[in-house]
Amino acid sequence: MKGHRDNRTYVEDLERHGDLVRIKQEVDWDLEAGAIVRRVCELKAPAPLMERIKDYPGFRYLGAPIATYRRLAICMGMDPRSSVPDLAEEYLRRTTTEPIPPVVVDKKDAPCKQNILLGDEVDLCKLPAPLVHDGDGGRYIGTWHAVITESFEEGTVNWGLYRLMLYDSKLMAAAVFPFSDLGKAFLQRYEPQGRPMPFAAVIGPPPLAAVAASAPSPIPEPEFTGQLMGEPIELVKCETNDLLVPAHSEVVIEGVILPNVRLEEGPFGEYTGYRTSPRDKRLAFLVKAITFRDDAIVTISNMGVPTDEGQLLRSFSLGLELEKLLRSQGLPVTGVYMPPESTHHMMIVGVKPTYSNIATQIANLAFGSKLGPWFHMVVVVDDTIDIYNWDEVFHALCTRCHPVRGIRVYEHAVGTALYPFLNAHERKYAKGAQVLFDCTWPLDWDPLNEVPRLVSFRTVYPKEIQEKVLANWEAYGFPSE
Amino acid sequence: MNVWEVFINDLSELREDEDLELSIRTLNPGIYKYTYKKVRARVSTSPEKYPDKLHVRFGRGQPHDHVYSIQVLEELNVIPEEYL
Repeated sequence: MKGHRDNRTYVEDLERHGDLVRIKQEVDWDLEAGAIVRRVCELKAPAPLMERIKDYPGFRYLGAPIATYRRLAICMGMDPRSSVPDLAEEYLRRTTTEPIPPVVVDKKDAPCKQNILLGDEVDLCKLPAPLVHDGDGGRYIGTWHAVITESFEEGTVNWGLYRLMLYDSKLMAAAVFPFSDLGKAFLQRYEPQGRPMPFAAVIGPPPLAAVAASAPSPIPEPEFTGQLMGEPIELVKCETNDLLVPAHSEVVIEGVILPNVRLEEGPFGEYTGYRTSPRDKRLAFLVKAITFRDDAIVTISNMGVPTDEGQLLRSFSLGLELEKLLRSQGLPVTGVYMPPESTHHMMIVGVKPTYSNIATQIANLAFGSKLGPWFHMVVVVDDTIDIYNWDEVFHALCTRCHPVRGIRVYEHAVGTALYPFLNAHERKYAKGAQVLFDCTWPLDWDPLNEVPRLVSFRTVYPKEIQEKVLANWEAYGFPSE
Repeated sequence: MNVWEVFINDLSELREDEDLELSIRTLNPGIYKYTYKKVRARVSTSPEKYPDKLHVRFGRGQPHDHVYSIQVLEELNVIPEEYL
Protein backbone atom coordinates (compact mmCIF):
# COMPACT_ATOMS: atom_id res chain seq x y z
CA MET A 1 0.00 0.00 0.00
CA LYS A 2 0.96 3.64 -0.31
CA GLY A 3 0.03 5.99 2.51
CA HIS A 4 -1.89 9.23 2.04
CA ARG A 5 0.63 11.85 1.09
CA ASP A 6 -1.45 14.58 2.67
CA ASN A 7 -4.65 15.32 4.53
CA ARG A 8 -6.49 16.07 1.30
CA THR A 9 -6.26 12.54 -0.08
CA TYR A 10 -7.04 11.27 3.42
CA VAL A 11 -10.18 13.44 3.57
CA GLU A 12 -11.28 12.06 0.20
CA ASP A 13 -10.78 8.53 1.50
CA LEU A 14 -12.68 9.24 4.70
CA GLU A 15 -15.53 10.67 2.66
CA ARG A 16 -15.56 7.64 0.35
CA HIS A 17 -15.94 5.40 3.40
CA GLY A 18 -18.71 7.56 4.90
CA ASP A 19 -16.47 8.69 7.74
CA LEU A 20 -16.45 12.45 7.08
CA VAL A 21 -18.96 15.27 7.55
CA ARG A 22 -18.43 18.50 5.60
CA ILE A 23 -19.64 21.45 7.67
CA LYS A 24 -20.48 24.27 5.27
CA GLN A 25 -21.80 26.84 7.74
CA GLU A 26 -19.40 29.18 9.50
CA VAL A 27 -17.83 27.77 12.64
CA ASP A 28 -16.28 29.92 15.36
CA TRP A 29 -12.67 29.11 16.30
CA ASP A 30 -13.54 30.36 19.80
CA LEU A 31 -14.90 27.17 21.43
CA GLU A 32 -17.47 26.13 18.79
CA ALA A 33 -14.99 24.11 16.72
CA GLY A 34 -13.61 22.50 19.87
CA ALA A 35 -17.07 21.58 21.09
CA ILE A 36 -17.89 19.95 17.75
CA VAL A 37 -14.72 17.85 17.88
CA ARG A 38 -15.27 16.88 21.51
CA ARG A 39 -18.79 15.64 20.76
CA VAL A 40 -17.52 13.77 17.71
CA CYS A 41 -15.03 11.97 19.94
CA GLU A 42 -17.60 11.07 22.54
CA LEU A 43 -20.07 9.76 19.93
CA LYS A 44 -17.39 8.18 17.72
CA ALA A 45 -19.00 10.18 14.92
CA PRO A 46 -17.44 10.84 11.49
CA ALA A 47 -14.58 13.31 11.31
CA PRO A 48 -15.76 16.92 10.76
CA LEU A 49 -14.22 18.99 7.96
CA MET A 50 -15.13 22.58 8.82
CA GLU A 51 -14.93 24.56 5.59
CA ARG A 52 -15.66 28.10 6.85
CA ILE A 53 -13.92 29.41 9.95
CA LYS A 54 -14.93 32.74 11.46
CA ASP A 55 -12.25 35.40 10.87
CA TYR A 56 -10.13 33.00 8.80
CA PRO A 57 -11.16 32.72 5.14
CA GLY A 58 -8.85 30.37 3.28
CA PHE A 59 -8.42 27.95 6.18
CA ARG A 60 -10.29 24.80 7.14
CA TYR A 61 -10.35 22.51 10.17
CA LEU A 62 -10.19 18.72 10.20
CA GLY A 63 -11.30 17.52 13.62
CA ALA A 64 -10.69 14.18 15.31
CA PRO A 65 -8.67 12.99 12.28
CA ILE A 66 -7.78 9.54 13.68
CA ALA A 67 -9.92 9.29 16.80
CA THR A 68 -11.25 5.78 16.03
CA TYR A 69 -9.72 2.45 15.06
CA ARG A 70 -11.88 2.64 11.93
CA ARG A 71 -10.16 5.83 10.85
CA LEU A 72 -6.79 4.36 11.78
CA ALA A 73 -7.56 1.47 9.43
CA ILE A 74 -8.45 3.91 6.63
CA CYS A 75 -5.30 5.89 7.40
CA MET A 76 -3.26 2.69 7.08
CA GLY A 77 -4.98 1.77 3.81
CA MET A 78 -6.75 -1.21 5.36
CA ASP A 79 -10.35 -2.40 5.41
CA PRO A 80 -12.22 0.02 7.74
CA ARG A 81 -13.71 -3.03 9.48
CA SER A 82 -10.27 -4.35 10.44
CA SER A 83 -10.10 -5.61 14.00
CA VAL A 84 -7.64 -4.20 16.54
CA PRO A 85 -5.52 -7.38 16.42
CA ASP A 86 -5.42 -7.08 12.61
CA LEU A 87 -4.30 -3.44 12.89
CA ALA A 88 -1.69 -4.41 15.47
CA GLU A 89 -0.35 -7.23 13.31
CA GLU A 90 -0.06 -4.92 10.31
CA TYR A 91 1.63 -2.18 12.38
CA LEU A 92 4.16 -4.70 13.69
CA ARG A 93 4.75 -6.08 10.20
CA ARG A 94 5.39 -2.68 8.66
CA THR A 95 7.53 -1.33 11.48
CA THR A 96 9.82 -4.34 11.63
CA THR A 97 10.78 -4.06 7.97
CA GLU A 98 13.80 -2.11 6.76
CA PRO A 99 13.40 1.63 7.51
CA ILE A 100 12.57 3.66 4.40
CA PRO A 101 14.59 6.90 4.21
CA PRO A 102 12.81 10.10 3.16
CA VAL A 103 13.48 11.95 -0.07
CA VAL A 104 14.14 15.69 -0.20
CA VAL A 105 12.24 17.65 -2.82
CA ASP A 106 12.67 21.14 -4.26
CA LYS A 107 10.76 24.01 -2.79
CA LYS A 108 8.76 24.35 -6.01
CA ASP A 109 7.43 20.82 -5.51
CA ALA A 110 6.45 21.42 -1.89
CA PRO A 111 2.82 22.52 -1.44
CA CYS A 112 3.58 23.73 2.10
CA LYS A 113 5.51 26.61 0.48
CA GLN A 114 2.50 28.04 -1.39
CA ASN A 115 2.32 30.91 1.12
CA ILE A 116 5.36 32.19 2.99
CA LEU A 117 5.35 34.74 5.80
CA LEU A 118 8.70 36.15 6.91
CA GLY A 119 9.91 39.06 9.05
CA ASP A 120 7.22 41.53 10.01
CA GLU A 121 4.59 39.48 8.19
CA VAL A 122 4.94 36.70 10.74
CA ASP A 123 1.91 36.71 13.00
CA LEU A 124 0.62 33.55 14.65
CA CYS A 125 -2.81 35.13 14.92
CA LYS A 126 -3.11 34.89 11.15
CA LEU A 127 -3.57 31.14 11.78
CA PRO A 128 -6.92 29.86 13.07
CA ALA A 129 -5.65 28.48 16.35
CA PRO A 130 -8.77 27.28 18.18
CA LEU A 131 -9.67 27.80 21.81
CA VAL A 132 -10.31 24.09 22.23
CA HIS A 133 -11.90 23.94 25.70
CA ASP A 134 -13.42 26.69 27.85
CA GLY A 135 -10.89 27.48 30.55
CA ASP A 136 -7.82 26.50 28.54
CA GLY A 137 -4.85 28.74 29.13
CA GLY A 138 -4.83 29.86 25.53
CA ARG A 139 -5.43 29.02 21.89
CA TYR A 140 -3.68 25.81 20.95
CA ILE A 141 -2.41 25.66 17.39
CA GLY A 142 -0.64 22.37 18.09
CA THR A 143 -2.96 19.55 19.12
CA TRP A 144 -2.41 17.09 16.25
CA HIS A 145 0.90 17.93 14.70
CA ALA A 146 4.64 17.29 14.91
CA VAL A 147 7.34 19.41 16.50
CA ILE A 148 10.53 18.75 14.56
CA THR A 149 13.92 19.33 16.15
CA GLU A 150 17.46 18.02 15.89
CA SER A 151 19.96 17.34 18.64
CA PHE A 152 23.18 19.05 17.51
CA GLU A 153 25.53 16.60 19.22
CA GLU A 154 23.97 13.35 18.09
CA GLY A 155 22.46 14.79 14.92
CA THR A 156 19.31 12.85 15.67
CA VAL A 157 16.03 14.16 14.37
CA ASN A 158 12.96 14.07 16.56
CA TRP A 159 9.33 14.48 15.60
CA GLY A 160 7.09 14.68 18.63
CA LEU A 161 3.70 15.89 19.76
CA TYR A 162 4.18 18.66 22.28
CA ARG A 163 1.10 20.81 22.76
CA LEU A 164 1.63 24.36 21.52
CA MET A 165 -0.17 27.37 22.98
CA LEU A 166 -0.18 30.79 21.34
CA TYR A 167 1.32 33.32 23.76
CA ASP A 168 1.28 36.27 21.38
CA SER A 169 1.85 36.98 17.70
CA LYS A 170 5.42 35.68 17.74
CA LEU A 171 5.60 33.33 20.70
CA MET A 172 4.27 29.91 21.59
CA ALA A 173 4.63 28.03 24.87
CA ALA A 174 4.89 24.26 25.00
CA ALA A 175 4.63 21.54 27.61
CA VAL A 176 7.85 19.55 27.19
CA PHE A 177 8.77 17.09 29.91
CA PRO A 178 12.44 16.66 30.82
CA PHE A 179 12.40 12.90 30.10
CA SER A 180 11.01 13.36 26.57
CA ASP A 181 13.32 13.29 23.56
CA LEU A 182 12.94 17.02 22.99
CA GLY A 183 13.28 17.71 26.71
CA LYS A 184 16.54 15.79 26.88
CA ALA A 185 17.99 17.44 23.78
CA PHE A 186 17.07 20.97 24.80
CA LEU A 187 17.67 20.81 28.54
CA GLN A 188 20.84 18.69 28.38
CA ARG A 189 22.43 20.05 25.19
CA TYR A 190 21.19 23.42 23.96
CA GLU A 191 20.21 25.29 27.10
CA PRO A 192 23.41 24.64 29.09
CA GLN A 193 25.34 26.24 26.23
CA GLY A 194 22.88 29.11 25.88
CA ARG A 195 22.05 28.02 22.31
CA PRO A 196 18.63 28.60 20.77
CA MET A 197 17.28 25.34 19.35
CA PRO A 198 15.78 25.48 15.85
CA PHE A 199 12.32 23.95 15.53
CA ALA A 200 9.60 23.46 12.95
CA ALA A 201 6.05 22.83 14.09
CA VAL A 202 4.09 21.03 11.41
CA ILE A 203 0.32 21.44 11.69
CA GLY A 204 -1.57 18.96 9.56
CA PRO A 205 1.29 16.68 8.56
CA PRO A 206 0.53 13.65 6.37
CA PRO A 207 -1.67 11.40 8.57
CA LEU A 208 0.87 8.60 9.03
CA ALA A 209 3.58 11.17 9.81
CA ALA A 210 1.41 12.31 12.71
CA VAL A 211 1.02 8.68 13.77
CA ALA A 212 4.82 8.32 13.64
CA ALA A 213 5.29 11.49 15.68
CA SER A 214 3.00 10.12 18.38
CA ALA A 215 4.64 6.68 18.41
CA PRO A 216 7.48 6.06 20.88
CA SER A 217 9.64 4.16 18.40
CA PRO A 218 13.44 4.21 18.49
CA ILE A 219 13.44 4.44 14.68
CA PRO A 220 13.79 8.09 13.50
CA GLU A 221 10.35 9.35 12.58
CA PRO A 222 11.08 10.15 8.90
CA GLU A 223 12.17 6.53 8.29
CA PHE A 224 9.39 5.25 10.53
CA THR A 225 6.83 7.20 8.51
CA GLY A 226 8.27 5.60 5.37
CA GLN A 227 7.75 2.17 6.92
CA LEU A 228 4.14 2.98 7.78
CA MET A 229 3.47 4.53 4.37
CA GLY A 230 5.27 1.88 2.35
CA GLU A 231 7.17 4.56 0.44
CA PRO A 232 9.52 7.45 1.24
CA ILE A 233 7.96 10.57 2.68
CA GLU A 234 8.83 13.74 0.80
CA LEU A 235 10.57 16.41 2.86
CA VAL A 236 11.60 19.96 2.12
CA LYS A 237 14.02 22.32 3.82
CA CYS A 238 12.70 25.06 6.09
CA GLU A 239 12.99 28.75 5.17
CA THR A 240 14.96 29.85 8.23
CA ASN A 241 16.84 26.75 9.37
CA ASP A 242 18.13 23.44 8.01
CA LEU A 243 15.37 21.24 9.39
CA LEU A 244 13.40 19.14 6.94
CA VAL A 245 9.60 19.06 7.09
CA PRO A 246 6.99 17.00 5.23
CA ALA A 247 6.51 18.78 1.89
CA HIS A 248 2.77 18.08 1.84
CA SER A 249 2.09 19.50 5.29
CA GLU A 250 -0.67 22.04 5.64
CA VAL A 251 1.09 24.60 7.86
CA VAL A 252 4.70 24.90 9.00
CA ILE A 253 5.78 27.24 11.81
CA GLU A 254 9.55 27.79 12.03
CA GLY A 255 11.65 29.34 14.73
CA VAL A 256 13.84 28.73 17.76
CA ILE A 257 13.28 27.50 21.29
CA LEU A 258 14.81 30.16 23.53
CA PRO A 259 17.27 29.14 26.23
CA ASN A 260 16.59 30.41 29.74
CA VAL A 261 13.23 31.87 28.80
CA ARG A 262 9.97 30.47 30.14
CA LEU A 263 6.38 31.42 29.46
CA GLU A 264 3.27 30.54 31.39
CA GLU A 265 1.45 27.68 29.69
CA GLY A 266 -1.78 25.83 30.40
CA PRO A 267 -4.02 24.70 31.81
CA PHE A 268 -5.32 22.47 29.05
CA GLY A 269 -7.81 19.62 28.71
CA GLU A 270 -5.54 16.60 28.63
CA TYR A 271 -5.47 13.03 27.36
CA THR A 272 -6.36 11.66 30.78
CA GLY A 273 -9.79 13.25 30.46
CA TYR A 274 -9.03 15.96 33.01
CA ARG A 275 -7.36 19.33 33.26
CA THR A 276 -4.67 18.16 35.66
CA SER A 277 -1.21 19.60 35.13
CA PRO A 278 -0.66 22.97 36.74
CA ARG A 279 -0.28 26.16 34.76
CA ASP A 280 3.45 26.56 34.84
CA LYS A 281 6.40 28.29 33.22
CA ARG A 282 7.34 26.25 30.18
CA LEU A 283 9.53 26.41 27.07
CA ALA A 284 9.26 29.48 24.83
CA PHE A 285 9.11 29.04 21.04
CA LEU A 286 9.97 32.21 19.08
CA VAL A 287 8.51 32.14 15.58
CA LYS A 288 10.49 33.38 12.57
CA ALA A 289 8.50 32.08 9.60
CA ILE A 290 5.13 30.60 8.74
CA THR A 291 4.42 28.73 5.53
CA PHE A 292 1.12 27.16 4.52
CA ARG A 293 -0.82 25.65 1.66
CA ASP A 294 -3.71 27.31 -0.12
CA ASP A 295 -6.96 26.39 1.67
CA ALA A 296 -4.88 24.94 4.47
CA ILE A 297 -6.42 22.29 6.71
CA VAL A 298 -5.58 22.82 10.38
CA THR A 299 -5.95 19.58 12.29
CA ILE A 300 -7.59 19.57 15.73
CA SER A 301 -7.44 16.82 18.29
CA ASN A 302 -9.66 17.54 21.26
CA MET A 303 -8.31 15.73 24.27
CA GLY A 304 -10.78 14.82 26.98
CA VAL A 305 -12.63 11.72 28.10
CA PRO A 306 -11.92 8.73 25.82
CA THR A 307 -11.54 8.40 23.00
CA ASP A 308 -9.48 10.81 20.97
CA GLU A 309 -6.13 10.58 19.22
CA GLY A 310 -4.24 11.20 22.45
CA GLN A 311 -5.55 7.96 23.88
CA LEU A 312 -6.26 5.79 20.87
CA LEU A 313 -3.06 6.19 18.89
CA ARG A 314 -0.77 6.57 21.83
CA SER A 315 -2.25 3.44 23.43
CA PHE A 316 -1.96 1.58 20.15
CA SER A 317 1.66 2.42 19.37
CA LEU A 318 2.90 2.50 22.96
CA GLY A 319 1.56 -1.01 23.58
CA LEU A 320 3.08 -2.36 20.39
CA GLU A 321 6.46 -0.72 20.96
CA LEU A 322 6.46 -2.30 24.43
CA GLU A 323 5.62 -5.64 22.82
CA LYS A 324 8.70 -5.25 20.59
CA LEU A 325 10.79 -4.47 23.67
CA LEU A 326 9.61 -7.57 25.53
CA ARG A 327 10.10 -9.81 22.50
CA SER A 328 13.61 -8.39 22.00
CA GLN A 329 14.44 -9.77 25.44
CA GLY A 330 13.19 -13.22 24.52
CA LEU A 331 10.09 -13.09 26.68
CA PRO A 332 7.35 -15.47 25.47
CA VAL A 333 4.66 -12.79 25.20
CA THR A 334 1.61 -13.51 23.09
CA GLY A 335 0.62 -9.87 22.79
CA VAL A 336 0.43 -6.46 24.44
CA TYR A 337 -2.61 -4.20 24.43
CA MET A 338 -3.32 -0.86 26.00
CA PRO A 339 -7.05 -0.10 26.04
CA PRO A 340 -7.64 3.50 24.92
CA GLU A 341 -10.22 3.80 27.72
CA SER A 342 -7.32 3.45 30.16
CA THR A 343 -5.81 6.57 28.56
CA HIS A 344 -2.74 4.38 27.93
CA HIS A 345 -2.22 3.94 31.63
CA MET A 346 -2.82 0.17 31.62
CA MET A 347 -0.58 -2.26 29.76
CA ILE A 348 -2.16 -5.71 29.37
CA VAL A 349 0.37 -8.41 28.56
CA GLY A 350 -0.40 -11.96 27.46
CA VAL A 351 2.38 -14.45 28.17
CA LYS A 352 3.12 -18.14 28.25
CA PRO A 353 4.17 -18.41 31.90
CA THR A 354 7.13 -20.73 31.47
CA TYR A 355 8.90 -19.79 34.68
CA SER A 356 7.99 -18.26 38.03
CA ASN A 357 7.70 -14.51 38.48
CA ILE A 358 7.80 -13.87 34.75
CA ALA A 359 5.20 -11.14 35.33
CA THR A 360 7.66 -9.29 37.56
CA GLN A 361 10.32 -9.47 34.88
CA ILE A 362 7.85 -8.06 32.36
CA ALA A 363 6.87 -5.19 34.64
CA ASN A 364 10.48 -4.40 35.53
CA LEU A 365 11.39 -4.17 31.85
CA ALA A 366 8.36 -2.10 30.90
CA PHE A 367 8.52 0.30 33.84
CA GLY A 368 12.30 0.58 33.53
CA SER A 369 12.24 1.51 29.86
CA LYS A 370 12.16 5.10 28.59
CA LEU A 371 8.45 4.54 27.95
CA GLY A 372 7.80 3.77 31.63
CA PRO A 373 6.70 7.24 32.74
CA TRP A 374 3.69 7.10 30.43
CA PHE A 375 1.80 4.29 32.17
CA HIS A 376 1.51 2.98 35.68
CA MET A 377 -0.43 -0.29 35.57
CA VAL A 378 0.78 -3.59 34.12
CA VAL A 379 -1.66 -6.49 34.03
CA VAL A 380 -0.12 -9.84 33.08
CA VAL A 381 -2.44 -12.67 32.03
CA ASP A 382 -1.64 -16.08 30.64
CA ASP A 383 -2.08 -17.07 27.02
CA THR A 384 -5.60 -18.46 27.57
CA ILE A 385 -6.91 -14.91 27.97
CA ASP A 386 -7.77 -12.75 24.96
CA ILE A 387 -5.97 -9.52 25.82
CA TYR A 388 -8.28 -7.56 23.50
CA ASN A 389 -11.38 -8.82 25.32
CA TRP A 390 -11.84 -6.61 28.37
CA ASP A 391 -14.45 -8.95 29.85
CA GLU A 392 -11.91 -11.77 29.93
CA VAL A 393 -9.11 -9.56 31.25
CA PHE A 394 -11.32 -8.06 33.94
CA HIS A 395 -12.50 -11.52 34.99
CA ALA A 396 -8.90 -12.71 35.25
CA LEU A 397 -7.89 -9.60 37.19
CA CYS A 398 -10.70 -10.07 39.68
CA THR A 399 -10.27 -13.83 40.14
CA ARG A 400 -6.62 -14.74 39.59
CA CYS A 401 -4.69 -11.83 41.05
CA HIS A 402 -3.93 -12.45 44.72
CA PRO A 403 -4.58 -9.24 46.70
CA VAL A 404 -1.18 -9.54 48.36
CA ARG A 405 1.07 -11.92 46.44
CA GLY A 406 -0.21 -10.89 43.01
CA ILE A 407 0.28 -7.14 43.40
CA ARG A 408 3.69 -5.50 43.36
CA VAL A 409 3.93 -1.80 44.04
CA TYR A 410 6.71 0.30 42.56
CA GLU A 411 7.30 3.41 44.62
CA HIS A 412 9.48 6.35 43.63
CA ALA A 413 8.85 5.93 39.91
CA VAL A 414 9.18 8.61 37.26
CA GLY A 415 5.79 10.14 36.59
CA THR A 416 4.34 13.12 34.77
CA ALA A 417 2.50 16.24 35.78
CA LEU A 418 -0.49 14.87 33.91
CA TYR A 419 -1.42 12.03 36.29
CA PRO A 420 -4.72 12.96 37.95
CA PHE A 421 -4.10 10.71 40.97
CA LEU A 422 -0.86 12.43 42.02
CA ASN A 423 -0.86 15.21 44.57
CA ALA A 424 0.30 18.71 43.69
CA HIS A 425 3.86 18.15 44.91
CA GLU A 426 4.19 14.87 42.99
CA ARG A 427 2.88 16.49 39.82
CA LYS A 428 5.27 19.42 40.08
CA TYR A 429 8.29 17.16 40.47
CA ALA A 430 6.99 14.33 38.24
CA LYS A 431 7.11 11.76 41.02
CA GLY A 432 5.07 8.73 40.05
CA ALA A 433 4.18 5.28 41.32
CA GLN A 434 3.44 2.07 39.44
CA VAL A 435 1.80 -1.27 40.06
CA LEU A 436 1.85 -4.79 38.64
CA PHE A 437 -1.17 -7.09 38.73
CA ASP A 438 0.04 -10.65 38.18
CA CYS A 439 -2.95 -12.66 36.95
CA THR A 440 -1.05 -15.82 36.05
CA TRP A 441 -1.51 -18.99 38.06
CA PRO A 442 1.55 -19.79 40.20
CA LEU A 443 3.67 -22.44 38.51
CA ASP A 444 4.22 -24.25 41.80
CA TRP A 445 0.51 -25.02 42.06
CA ASP A 446 -0.48 -28.56 41.12
CA PRO A 447 -2.24 -28.07 37.77
CA LEU A 448 -4.63 -30.95 38.48
CA ASN A 449 -5.63 -30.23 42.03
CA GLU A 450 -4.83 -26.59 42.76
CA VAL A 451 -5.37 -24.59 39.56
CA PRO A 452 -9.09 -23.82 39.27
CA ARG A 453 -10.88 -24.98 36.15
CA LEU A 454 -12.43 -22.23 34.02
CA VAL A 455 -16.14 -22.82 33.63
CA SER A 456 -17.25 -21.62 30.22
CA PHE A 457 -19.04 -22.96 27.18
CA ARG A 458 -15.77 -23.65 25.43
CA THR A 459 -13.98 -25.28 28.37
CA VAL A 460 -16.40 -27.58 30.21
CA TYR A 461 -18.47 -29.24 27.46
CA PRO A 462 -17.35 -32.05 25.18
CA LYS A 463 -16.59 -30.94 21.66
CA GLU A 464 -19.53 -32.88 20.19
CA ILE A 465 -21.98 -31.18 22.56
CA GLN A 466 -20.59 -27.76 21.69
CA GLU A 467 -20.94 -28.50 17.98
CA LYS A 468 -24.47 -29.81 18.41
CA VAL A 469 -25.58 -26.75 20.35
CA LEU A 470 -23.99 -24.40 17.83
CA ALA A 471 -25.52 -26.28 14.89
CA ASN A 472 -28.99 -26.09 16.47
CA TRP A 473 -28.73 -22.57 17.82
CA GLU A 474 -31.23 -21.03 15.43
CA ALA A 475 -33.42 -24.12 15.55
CA TYR A 476 -33.74 -23.59 19.31
CA GLY A 477 -35.21 -20.17 18.46
CA PHE A 478 -32.23 -17.91 19.08
CA PRO A 479 -31.39 -15.20 16.54
CA SER A 480 -28.39 -15.98 14.33
CA GLU A 481 -25.08 -14.58 15.62
CA MET B 1 -12.14 49.93 27.75
CA ASN B 2 -10.20 46.73 27.43
CA VAL B 3 -11.14 43.42 28.94
CA TRP B 4 -8.38 41.22 30.33
CA GLU B 5 -8.12 37.88 32.05
CA VAL B 6 -5.57 36.47 34.47
CA PHE B 7 -4.89 32.96 35.79
CA ILE B 8 -4.00 32.64 39.44
CA ASN B 9 -3.82 29.91 42.04
CA ASP B 10 -5.05 32.04 44.93
CA LEU B 11 -6.83 35.38 45.21
CA SER B 12 -4.07 36.58 47.54
CA GLU B 13 -1.89 36.90 44.43
CA LEU B 14 -4.02 39.88 43.39
CA ARG B 15 -2.94 42.37 46.03
CA GLU B 16 -5.06 45.45 45.58
CA ASP B 17 -3.55 48.79 44.59
CA GLU B 18 0.01 47.52 44.54
CA ASP B 19 2.30 47.31 41.55
CA LEU B 20 2.10 43.70 40.34
CA GLU B 21 3.76 41.82 37.51
CA LEU B 22 1.11 39.79 35.76
CA SER B 23 0.65 37.80 32.57
CA ILE B 24 -2.75 38.85 31.31
CA ARG B 25 -4.59 37.90 28.17
CA THR B 26 -6.95 40.06 26.18
CA LEU B 27 -10.61 39.13 25.88
CA ASN B 28 -11.24 41.86 23.32
CA PRO B 29 -12.95 40.37 20.26
CA GLY B 30 -10.96 39.63 17.11
CA ILE B 31 -8.07 37.51 16.00
CA TYR B 32 -5.85 38.61 18.88
CA LYS B 33 -8.27 37.42 21.54
CA TYR B 34 -6.54 35.30 24.21
CA THR B 35 -3.03 36.55 23.40
CA TYR B 36 -0.89 37.50 26.37
CA LYS B 37 1.06 40.47 27.60
CA LYS B 38 3.33 40.58 30.58
CA VAL B 39 2.59 43.81 32.40
CA ARG B 40 3.12 45.89 35.49
CA ALA B 41 -0.34 46.74 36.67
CA ARG B 42 -2.59 47.63 39.57
CA VAL B 43 -5.83 45.82 40.29
CA SER B 44 -8.86 46.36 42.46
CA THR B 45 -11.81 44.27 43.52
CA SER B 46 -13.87 47.34 42.75
CA PRO B 47 -14.99 46.91 39.14
CA GLU B 48 -14.95 50.65 38.52
CA LYS B 49 -11.72 51.79 40.19
CA TYR B 50 -9.40 51.22 37.23
CA PRO B 51 -10.16 51.74 33.54
CA ASP B 52 -10.10 48.13 32.29
CA LYS B 53 -11.95 45.00 33.35
CA LEU B 54 -10.07 41.99 34.68
CA HIS B 55 -11.63 38.54 34.71
CA VAL B 56 -10.03 35.95 36.94
CA ARG B 57 -9.56 32.20 36.50
CA PHE B 58 -8.00 29.69 38.82
CA GLY B 59 -5.31 27.11 38.11
CA ARG B 60 -7.49 24.56 36.35
CA GLY B 61 -9.41 27.14 34.36
CA GLN B 62 -12.33 27.62 36.76
CA PRO B 63 -13.76 31.16 36.40
CA HIS B 64 -14.05 33.39 39.47
CA ASP B 65 -17.46 34.98 39.63
CA HIS B 66 -16.19 38.45 40.56
CA VAL B 67 -14.78 40.83 37.95
CA TYR B 68 -11.90 43.08 39.06
CA SER B 69 -10.66 46.27 37.47
CA ILE B 70 -7.09 46.81 36.26
CA GLN B 71 -4.82 49.58 35.12
CA VAL B 72 -1.90 48.53 32.95
CA LEU B 73 1.06 50.71 33.87
CA GLU B 74 3.73 49.23 31.62
CA GLU B 75 4.22 46.38 29.17
CA LEU B 76 7.23 44.22 30.01
CA ASN B 77 9.41 42.31 27.59
CA VAL B 78 9.30 38.54 27.88
CA ILE B 79 12.06 38.01 25.32
CA PRO B 80 15.66 39.05 25.97
CA GLU B 81 16.83 41.92 23.71
CA GLU B 82 19.30 39.67 21.89
CA TYR B 83 16.43 37.70 20.33
CA LEU B 84 14.29 40.67 19.29
